[in-house]
Amino acid sequence: MALIELEQVSKTYGSGPLAVPVLHDVSLTIEAGDYCAIMGPSGSGKSTVMNIIGCLDKPSQGRYYLDGQPISNLDANALAEIRNRRIGFVFQQFYLLPQLTAIENVMLPMVYANVPGPKRRTRALRALQKVGLGNRLHNRPNQLSGGQQQRVAIARAIVNRPQLLLADEPTGALDSQTSQSIMDIFADLNREGMTLVMVTHDREVAQQCERILTFRDGRLLNGQDASSHPSAASLG
Amino acid sequence: MPLNLIENASMAAKTLGANKLRSGLTMLGIVIGNASVIAMVAAGQAAQIYVTRQFESLGTNVLFITPGDAQRGPGAGASRADTLTLADAEAIATEVPSVRAVSPEKNQRLRISQGATETQANVIGTTHDYGTVRQVELAQGRFLSPVDAQAQVPVAVLGSEVAQTLFGPQHPLNQTIRISNQRFRVVGIAAPRGSSFGQNQDEAVYIPIWVMANQLTGQEAGRTSPSVQTIAVSALDPTQASAAQYQITNLLRLRHGLFQDANDFTVQSQQDLLTTAASITDILVLVLGFTAGISLLVGGIGIMNIMLVSVTERTQEIGLRKAIGAKDSDISIQFTIEAVILAVMGGVIGTSLGIASIGIMTLTTPLTASLSFGAIAVSFSVSGGIGLIFGLLPARRAAQLDPIVALRS
Repeated sequence: MALIELEQVSKTYGSGPLAVPVLHDVSLTIEAGDYCAIMGPSGSGKSTVMNIIGCLDKPSQGRYYLDGQPISNLDANALAEIRNRRIGFVFQQFYLLPQLTAIENVMLPMVYANVPGPKRRTRALRALQKVGLGNRLHNRPNQLSGGQQQRVAIARAIVNRPQLLLADEPTGALDSQTSQSIMDIFADLNREGMTLVMVTHDREVAQQCERILTFRDGRLLNGQDASSHPSAASLG
Repeated sequence: MPLNLIENASMAAKTLGANKLRSGLTMLGIVIGNASVIAMVAAGQAAQIYVTRQFESLGTNVLFITPGDAQRGPGAGASRADTLTLADAEAIATEVPSVRAVSPEKNQRLRISQGATETQANVIGTTHDYGTVRQVELAQGRFLSPVDAQAQVPVAVLGSEVAQTLFGPQHPLNQTIRISNQRFRVVGIAAPRGSSFGQNQDEAVYIPIWVMANQLTGQEAGRTSPSVQTIAVSALDPTQASAAQYQITNLLRLRHGLFQDANDFTVQSQQDLLTTAASITDILVLVLGFTAGISLLVGGIGIMNIMLVSVTERTQEIGLRKAIGAKDSDISIQFTIEAVILAVMGGVIGTSLGIASIGIMTLTTPLTASLSFGAIAVSFSVSGGIGLIFGLLPARRAAQLDPIVALRS
């Protein structure tokens, strides 16, 4: 079974004559273990797709199944729980809490998952070691470089062992060398079986993914077929 | 399931600690509010105790008879303020069984001199019973005796300050002083008594009432018995006080020939005076407490303001927390707890300041302020409640933020 299944999903903001359609009839499938990039110019609807997949937003029409479970009719608390347990988020601006140390930031999702205290520390430690930051546990975000901050954010995203990792322009604020080190971490995670979906502008970054979904004007240009694989992609 | 409170509290403490100046200033309103509630209530209660003690220092089981009807305002029922006479006092002493001692009092401020030293003092013409009713203790000599009153011997008992002023380190007993140029022999010195209702009791001179009437204030036209300003009566015991009050009223109405008319005198028990005073000081405490309570309220509004600002500033944090799985209730609890912590910490600091101010009050004023655990409990729970109430709106606003919008901001 596919991990992510969108069926004829549309999204419109507002209503009546002022309604702004941002997604038209998007259907797509992402299998468990996929490593997938979403590309497209600004306003193409790629962020909206990302928000719907991440259970931060709901489709206006159509259906979304995450791991076979219909999402469209869930309430806010149920969605919060899904985001907490089954999805990890990495953002362009990292969004670390400045008053917390690296390990405290990583422990945050476990706070909302009601993981017991001692277990949190060991799991956060393991996640930080995995992204190569086992030696910067007690630094605050302002004592870390951009690349280090993003690695803390990745550790935070994977600490609850989600099925799906969503990254929104994860390298957008980093130089190319640092970007590459982040991409290497993503590749490692994918090798271990994590499903990754990444929104990016950067074609070089996208080409490291196994598959590229391209959006334009709220439509998916290369949907389900093999042409979405970078080797066959001609759009950009 | 909402997060447990300790978890949230430690998180909130970390957040508040990261911005100490702001947290401190936010707390200030609650600090001042709490301190003033505790200090004001303590001051009010101290005033209450002070007033009560003043009444008690008048002597226990004491009734006061004064001319005019106090119930109906000054002058009501009697146009003259001299309706009470020494004869009334003597009648009370002989005819009212529930009375132990009767002290008629005639006061006037007069010039006192000894040699070249001269001063003003409150001269009280009275009988030996004054000492019993008013509980005068003597430092030296004796008080007025029954013989002094009858024989009209010009003797005087001096208040401690008068003795000090006139004689200094000298021995005053059996010396002669002059009151309005009349010679009096000093037979006793009262022990210091302090003041009562603004009247310095150590600045008094006690002389026999007949001597006062005949030699100092002069004969009053058409009278056989001199008028008195006060008759103080002590009942046999506290349970007899109201019986005495009743019997005295009847006797005086009879003696004054009042049948249909209202009383031309007032009999007040110490209990009456206490009740009147207590009703006044109760209002005082209430007003003080209320005023201080308003500052607590203002403090709460301060907290709400800053929390609203904080929600706006931390929009991204709220968005992030929601993205990684915080429910609306988690966010709401987080911000509410921050407000409650601010308020309760303000409460703790304010209470300490209030307690300190009570200490200062006790040291620097005649009021003996005592710590009211009631006031502490109230202001504590009130400030916690204020944090809760004024934290709700900001917390609600935070919880309702859309994570997508919040993260994009």
